[in-house]
Amino acid sequence: MAKGPRRLDLSRYLRRKPLDLALLTGLAVVAFVFVEGLSRIYFAQQRSLAERWSARGTADLKAQNYPAAVADFRSSLLYARDNGIYQLDLAEALLGMKRTDEAYNYLINLWEREPENGMVNLELARIAAQREDTHQALRFYHDAIYATWPGNQEEETQNCRLELIHYLLRSHALAQAQAELMALEANIPDDSPEQVQLGQLFLQAQGYQQALHAFQLGLRSNRRNHEAMLGAGMAAFQLGLYPAAERYLRDAVITSPHDAQSMTWFKKARFVLETDPYLPDLSEVQKNRIALNAFATAGNRLKVCPAQGSPAVPAAVLQGLEQQWTKLKPQMTEWRLRRNPDLVNTAMDLAFQIERQTVIGCAAPTQADQALLLIANLHEEN
Amino acid sequence: MSSQAQTAVADEEAHSGPARRWAEFAPASVLRFVFREDRFFLILSVFIGILSGLLVVCFHYAMGWCQIYLLGTGAAPSTVRLLLVPTLAGLVIAVLVIHVFPEARGSGVNQTKAALYIYNGYIPLKAAVGKFITSALAIGSGHSLGPEDPSLQIGASLASAIGRRLRLSRDRMRLIAPAGAAAGLAAAFNAPISAVLFVIEEVIGRWTAGILGSVVLAAVSSAVVMRWFLGAEPFFRIPTVRMQQPSELIAYSILGVVGGLASVVFSSGIAFLRPVCKRLRPWTQYLQPAVAGLLTGCIAVLGAPQVMGAGYVYIDEAMHGQFTWQFLAILGGLKILATLMSFVAGTPGGMFAPTLFIGAMLGGAVGGAQHVLLPHLSGSVGTYALVGMGVLFAGFLRAPMTSVFMVLEMSGNYSIIVPVILANTIAYVISRALQPVPIFDALSRQDGVELPSMEEQREEDVLHVEDAMEPPGEVVLDSRDTVGKAAVLMEQSGREALVIRLHPSGWGSITSQDLKALVQTDRGSQTLEAVLGKDQVPFLHPDHPLDMALRYVDRWPLVPVVNRADLGKLEGVITEHDVLERYRDFGRE
Repeated sequence: MAKGPRRLDLSRYLRRKPLDLALLTGLAVVAFVFVEGLSRIYFAQQRSLAERWSARGTADLKAQNYPAAVADFRSSLLYARDNGIYQLDLAEALLGMKRTDEAYNYLINLWEREPENGMVNLELARIAAQREDTHQALRFYHDAIYATWPGNQEEETQNCRLELIHYLLRSHALAQAQAELMALEANIPDDSPEQVQLGQLFLQAQGYQQALHAFQLGLRSNRRNHEAMLGAGMAAFQLGLYPAAERYLRDAVITSPHDAQSMTWFKKARFVLETDPYLPDLSEVQKNRIALNAFATAGNRLKVCPAQGSPAVPAAVLQGLEQQWTKLKPQMTEWRLRRNPDLVNTAMDLAFQIERQTVIGCAAPTQADQALLLIANLHEEN
Repeated sequence: MSSQAQTAVADEEAHSGPARRWAEFAPASVLRFVFREDRFFLILSVFIGILSGLLVVCFHYAMGWCQIYLLGTGAAPSTVRLLLVPTLAGLVIAVLVIHVFPEARGSGVNQTKAALYIYNGYIPLKAAVGKFITSALAIGSGHSLGPEDPSLQIGASLASAIGRRLRLSRDRMRLIAPAGAAAGLAAAFNAPISAVLFVIEEVIGRWTAGILGSVVLAAVSSAVVMRWFLGAEPFFRIPTVRMQQPSELIAYSILGVVGGLASVVFSSGIAFLRPVCKRLRPWTQYLQPAVAGLLTGCIAVLGAPQVMGAGYVYIDEAMHGQFTWQFLAILGGLKILATLMSFVAGTPGGMFAPTLFIGAMLGGAVGGAQHVLLPHLSGSVGTYALVGMGVLFAGFLRAPMTSVFMVLEMSGNYSIIVPVILANTIAYVISRALQPVPIFDALSRQDGVELPSMEEQREEDVLHVEDAMEPPGEVVLDSRDTVGKAAVLMEQSGREALVIRLHPSGWGSITSQDLKALVQTDRGSQTLEAVLGKDQVPFLHPDHPLDMALRYVDRWPLVPVVNRADLGKLEGVITEHDVLERYRDFGRE
């Protein structure tokens, strides 16, 4: 009898609780659907606002109206906080306003989220280069080269490497520039007109052998390419290949007779050739005459040096050279040279010695002195 | 056989053997198991979390729309908008708060606490509606307040309404509001652990499995709902956080000092100005939010629009080094001013977001300054901004545990824990020393309500048995002693009662009067064991709370206090007189 009311309570309780639970579930479902609808409206509006402000920003960026672009992109980021493209655009606008630190912070944050983003790495590299932070610049340039790029990956990578090479050349990091150029070279086909550009970069990086090779490849695809002729001539000249240099440079002058640079280098090459007594196919008379001129040039060089010497050339050295020159002078006649062919070598050795010793500490060398120096170096290498 | 006996037999049969096993799986038993009130309360907590989360998501949208339609869509609103919008919104808010939603005024934390301790869990649903509308309008129009406290109250109010509808028991009703509060806060903050800790630390003040379970379920389900709609990304994109060298702790200590002092300025300002504003003539109540809005607008026009609204975007920017350290310091100061004005004017809205904003700005400023002054010490500005948020949270809101976990939860990086603990502790200690009354307690007292202070509860001195016990003395009776010998020993000791060591273990006690009575009845030659039997006296340990001694001292004249490692070693004895005397002394202290 006592259990009757308890059972009644329990059944009422059990009837009520599942009902409550069902009602709560229904309420939650209805509310969820309602908020889902609201969300769609809200986020559609957010997207639309972000795109609208970004479009304005892009237009302002193109018009180089950087302050307006900064405000626009900031607005677009209010509605799409994590959009990397807007952030990058904002960084570019800030860079346009020379607010490098702010731009750097935006970019570094982007980089932390997307370390493989090529554009972000490239912009960071540019900022580091601007700040003359070579270590960071190299790091970001390399990251940009090996990063992922939208669109043509190969082209973007090549452009990045080219930019890095230009930066290295500006920084006089020639060995690193040559290494990058070699990596670039591997990706340029032999018959590509870009070989000429590559050759010029090698030339700037003092990679003369590679430069000559690149120019030769360039000439192979276009025999009338003046740039390639000039470049090949200059590279050959630097390598001491004066006859080849003269040939390339002569062609360059013929192709572009008004180009002063080609003419200057051609004259230089010609002059070196005219000053070198060791060229093959020279008659004995020619050889002796060149040796006499070289000996006289060296004597004149000694005269422009201060008698008391200089830190680079001590007076004792100068005096010793002058004594040797004076001692040899009486023997330097065409007749004696004809009688004693070894005298040419003796005279040229002394002339080379004088030019080398006096290259620093005396007055600026004349064209003839420079030519003698070049021949001295070539002769020494051989 | 009587009906009671029959029932007992039937119950016995039902509770044994196969019948019992079958009964366990009967639908009625399953339903009874599931719908037992404590379990039903846990299920209910999940629903409260889901519904609170949905409401907070709507609140988020409402704030966003208010901002778009009132301040415009651009990041730099026009001067006219900056001045007019917060001012006019302030007027509207004042009218709404005074005439339609008076419950919307005040701190949501304190209202939830009041529901727990005073109103048996009752928070009117109108409070949630009022908070929703007025706070969305205030924050969306640029008043310097945050959405967390309103979200907390919206959750608590909704939970209370559901609890009333389901006619929960009084105990459950009291707990349902804090569960809703945790859900609201978790959704607003996107940080369920911090929300749970905050509610436990600041609202409920105690840990039990039942409370924790419902609060955690509500917070987690609410956070899940919030992430479903608003995304799982944290509010702030945390920069790479690292502590490079231990010497950086010096810099973080400085940050702790700066944060502690800023907390004191902020909380003292509120504690001083709020009553002043309340004492002004009643008609000024209509103008106060408008004036606060106008002044906030003026600050924005003068070059610091970042102080408007909750300011999450700018916290994010500060963490990513977008401002100079000087500007960060200025922003921190201006935000204190703007929030102070908005809050004391009675504008509905919370102080969590402004606290984080101020902390991030001051942290970034300290980090930036140290970069300039001591470049070898400093980590990234972002790290300092992150630690700064926790510092202000610890110093201003006086929630040290929550402040630490909040930073860890937001950064997801435990390598920062040492600087966070150090800086937060310094800020907390400074704030506590210079501003003894925590801000929530100050606000409730200003409103004429004496709510229990969680900080005081945490730090309340608890008396232990060792504080009241007497030394055991040299005389301890043995149960094998005769009554006569015991009477002699009692007389020699001059005590009114002595403890008896029982065999093989245990303790007893006896008074001198009982001994005398035994001697007078010619039982002096019998052993104590023979006359008293094996009845043991419960014993205590020195570290037991003194309250525990009260359970025994009125029934036994002398209660032994024994060593935990050696129950045969007597550390002391305690009487009713000792306990009462110690409590009397404690009251005087």
